[in-house]
Amino acid sequence: MLDFSLTSMLSSLFLLAEEAAPAAEGISWIALLNQALNGIGIVGILLLTGLGLAITFGVMRIINLAHGEFIMLGAYVTFVMQDFFKMDLLMTIPFAFIGTALIGAIVELTIIRRLYGRPLETLLATWGLSIVLQGVVKLIFTAELKYVRAPSYLSGNLSFLTNEAGTSPIAISYYRLFIIAVALALLALTMFLFYGTSWGRQIRAVTQNREMAKCLGVNTKLIDMGTFAYGCGLAGVAGAVISALKTVAPPMGQDYLVDAWMVVVTGGVDKLIGILAGSFLIGESNAIIAFMLNDPLARVIVLAAVIVLIRYRPEGLFTVQKRA
Amino acid sequence: MSKHMIVKASRRKFLQYGSLTLGASVIAACSGGTSSSSGGSDEAADLGENPIKVGVMYSTTGTIAIVEKSLQDATFLAIEQINSGTGPWEANGEGIAGRKIQKVVVNPNSDWDLYNQMSKRLIEEDQVVCVLGCYTSASRKSVLPVFEEKNSLLYYPVYYEGNECSSNVFYTGAAPNQQITDSIPYAYENFGPKGFFIGSDYIYPKESNRIAKAELEQAGGQVVGDEYAALGTTEFITIINKIKAAKPDFVLSNLVGDSIPAFYRQYKDAGITADDIPIMAYPTTEEEIQAMGPEFAAGHYTSFNYFQSVDTPENKAFVEQFKEMFGGDRVTNGVMEAAYLQTFFMAQAMKDALEAGEELNTETIRAATRGQEFSAPQGRVKIDPDNYHTYLYSRIGRWKEDGQADIVFSTDAAVKPIPWSQVLYKGRTCVHPSPDDRSDPIKETGKDLETQYLES
Repeated sequence: MLDFSLTSMLSSLFLLAEEAAPAAEGISWIALLNQALNGIGIVGILLLTGLGLAITFGVMRIINLAHGEFIMLGAYVTFVMQDFFKMDLLMTIPFAFIGTALIGAIVELTIIRRLYGRPLETLLATWGLSIVLQGVVKLIFTAELKYVRAPSYLSGNLSFLTNEAGTSPIAISYYRLFIIAVALALLALTMFLFYGTSWGRQIRAVTQNREMAKCLGVNTKLIDMGTFAYGCGLAGVAGAVISALKTVAPPMGQDYLVDAWMVVVTGGVDKLIGILAGSFLIGESNAIIAFMLNDPLARVIVLAAVIVLIRYRPEGLFTVQKRA
Repeated sequence: MSKHMIVKASRRKFLQYGSLTLGASVIAACSGGTSSSSGGSDEAADLGENPIKVGVMYSTTGTIAIVEKSLQDATFLAIEQINSGTGPWEANGEGIAGRKIQKVVVNPNSDWDLYNQMSKRLIEEDQVVCVLGCYTSASRKSVLPVFEEKNSLLYYPVYYEGNECSSNVFYTGAAPNQQITDSIPYAYENFGPKGFFIGSDYIYPKESNRIAKAELEQAGGQVVGDEYAALGTTEFITIINKIKAAKPDFVLSNLVGDSIPAFYRQYKDAGITADDIPIMAYPTTEEEIQAMGPEFAAGHYTSFNYFQSVDTPENKAFVEQFKEMFGGDRVTNGVMEAAYLQTFFMAQAMKDALEAGEELNTETIRAATRGQEFSAPQGRVKIDPDNYHTYLYSRIGRWKEDGQADIVFSTDAAVKPIPWSQVLYKGRTCVHPSPDDRSDPIKETGKDLETQYLES
């Protein structure tokens, strides 16, 4: 493995050095700029898929290994809505939110509720849950890949710097911009809910001191269920939005689970804004390193970097000062 | 005190619910799979006396299930037709010389080690006479030592990278010279000399691209980029940007599984049309195109032995019967057709052996399978008696807006298989002795091997 990655790194560095010489300097800079711009598209997907986890893990401290499956459920809700009711993708987003939030609420009621304060058992139970959800979806929809249609008005590219040949070396697709917009809007909405409403205040009170909040008349059970359902609903929206750009299949959630965890852990779990920083850092560094070297290698490097970061800042980048 | 009670009570509850979840998950992971052997007693009653036990080994769960489930479907259709004497088996009556096939189905859950264990189980415990199965090269490599050690037979239905010639495997998918050898010169002549090669990061795409690279360089072209993505990757913007920067004349894609729809969608989404840079692919078939939406593949190319649009009476019947059994919205593709036709090769061989008064075992089935011919949906095909690969048609399809292929290139007859790429290993071929004593079959002729076709 080490040998392999080392040689492939060396060979790609060699190729890079070889190519840099004959090609004009400017072109590779423009290509790099284009890649950096498109890295924002990756950031958008990371932010969107990480947001739900930032609620269920970041706020509620539930080690939720079924997060990816809630993304998958959202994608399937979109598929069903499109297939049976011929809905536009944008129209299906509320249904994806409500559908996954409902399933999330049921899961909280039957499994998670009984496991608060026991992270290890929660981990096992949610892992089992992820296998069950995958199995159920496979039984209902079979293992085939499913097709979700992207809205036609979101096709096309926003381009900068059109050259004389009529092609533009720097461009980003409208759909990726749309993903970023949805992600930022959801982040803003979530921050408003948490820091600007009484529901948010109650949530934070329950996380900080459950017993005291209970004494003061907060219905902690309802708050827990609502918060978990909201986090799952966000995952469902993520699934709905990315379903048109990626592949819809029962195991699809596994792919996003690791990324979502990296984002949440890097950004820090105490502040929601941390996941914006986390997804930006991971998405952009992944994009730039992958462009210089290659995709599998970039993943290795970024993962290693996250491990080093956690070693020195176990709480992530954005932390809240706490009393010991 | 009371707190202690609560903890105790909830621990008991946890055990209840926790074991429920875990138990359910274990059932979900194994369901339909590891133990659905012999298909239950009611089916056994229908199979009459002395059925022939055949192993069917495809994953119906895990990452590769997407493809292998449809291979299993095609295999089941063939077995059903053989047992009931319908379809291509109509002239032979029910079963094989009166004996029906009893399928022993296992599900290795897309886990390469499980393929190895389950093939052992099929051969030793279930005592099947042969096995139909496997999709990825990784799984074939995993079971190969088992079939060679136990001297059993595997029918393998997938196009692959070649470089193999076992006495215990019949390869009914394309060898390199039935897919790569025609598609690369076609791309060179029709698109241009510069190719950008991409693939999933494992043995088949890498080896296949290595052969394609040698073919392209021999034709006078050059490879301007070579990129691999981990199996299951669905984010391709980096590779697409590298393609944009390298400005190739065509892209050769050996991506497999769920990466395929994601790549084609993001390719079009990034503003590259099929007119700018067409994609030539091997693993992209009707099934993946249905999943990505046909508009994303329209104008791109795939090289395969079979397309659903192949115009033969056998194919018309095959498509019709498949849809009847599995639903009108299903499509057929090249790997499914190979899984289908190899089941008939096996059945014909068993029939010949039984009619000659022989017992069914590895030796008799192997000897009888060599040289079998069959009118498959793709046309007349034949197992090469020397190298155990299959004479297959070589075709190139251009995808249309309706998700079907417009066949732009086709050989007139099935091409004789050569397991080794002749650009990389000039003159190397494979001849199993007759009768097969399992000695080393590799022959170095040192000469250019001429393309031979199946004579009708």
